[in-house]
Amino acid sequence: MNSENSEAGESRERGGDVIVETVARLMVPFIQLFALYVIIHGAGGPGGGFQGGVIFAASFVLLVIAFGIVNAGDRFPEAVNTAFFSLGVYIYAGVGLLCIIMGFLYFGVPDAQYLNYGFIPLTAHFEENRALGMDLVEIGIGITVMAVITSIFFNLVWKRESEEGGEEG
Amino acid sequence: MKLISLSALLLVIFLGVLFIYVAEDIPDFGDPNSPPNRYVNLSITVDAAGLVDDLNKGVIPESLMDKIEERGLPLPSGVEKIKEGEWDAIIIPEEKHYYPKEQKYYFIKKEGAKLWVYRYAPIIRYIEEGHHETEVPNMVTYILADYRGYDTLGEVTVIFTAGVGVILLLRRREKRPEAR
Repeated sequence: MNSENSEAGESRERGGDVIVETVARLMVPFIQLFALYVIIHGAGGPGGGFQGGVIFAASFVLLVIAFGIVNAGDRFPEAVNTAFFSLGVYIYAGVGLLCIIMGFLYFGVPDAQYLNYGFIPLTAHFEENRALGMDLVEIGIGITVMAVITSIFFNLVWKRESEEGGEEG
Repeated sequence: MKLISLSALLLVIFLGVLFIYVAEDIPDFGDPNSPPNRYVNLSITVDAAGLVDDLNKGVIPESLMDKIEERGLPLPSGVEKIKEGEWDAIIIPEEKHYYPKEQKYYFIKKEGAKLWVYRYAPIIRYIEEGHHETEVPNMVTYILADYRGYDTLGEVTVIFTAGVGVILLLRRREKRPEAR
């Protein structure tokens, strides 16, 4: 019983099967590409920041399953992940604030609305500015969702691994 | 103790009966003409006698204007006939800097000998005008990210808070396996 447990723990730490590792290594870039597609495609079809962020996080979950938490954790520094948490919210709120600022500077409108993306002068048309502003916001949502889901998964796995390690010791 | 549980039971039964009584007025599921989906009754009503011709000609009768002004609602600037006995009233919104287009605001309907005034639900504008206002073909995205931008900002903040909570509860820096 005990030896089985430790063996399973070791194989999880080393990473497991060659096939699983290779397939995971092959799949991860495509999953991440698909996630970026879903985020950017949110304006044109089904998709959006929330869904794309979760798909992106799923690629890291696959890495952890295939390579074990230690190896995958090395590839994914947690300090950066924590910074991504707030980066997404900052992008969203910052785009909203940019609307007021650019509305005042560029359009000369003193009472521009927060989160009215039409005031970001990306193109000459108010309506297209709104479409592009939505894309920026979706990117912010995607970053936050990706970081949070990944962090929840990593922390849960780390907790269990450290508890198992405590039993061993 | 018994008195409390008995009164609680009676309260629950009373609320249940009240809910069944109120449920009569809930619109059917998927009803496209229910108030949240279509228009809200403003309880503004005038006699229809002699006013139908005015409305068909695109003129809003004085008596109707007075009633709307009485309620402090924005005054319509024009009226369009949809079909016999139903009209759209147009206003020019006060969004003067960026979207000064006319939009349909009131819905006037002849029921019996009276004219009733309804207010279009905001969702009508999202559905009918959203594509032109945002140049985005996906209705879900432009409602969530643009018209309901504050709501989505709040949702992202909720997820952010959930992540911070997980970090505070679960992160054990000194017990990392990599430290071993």
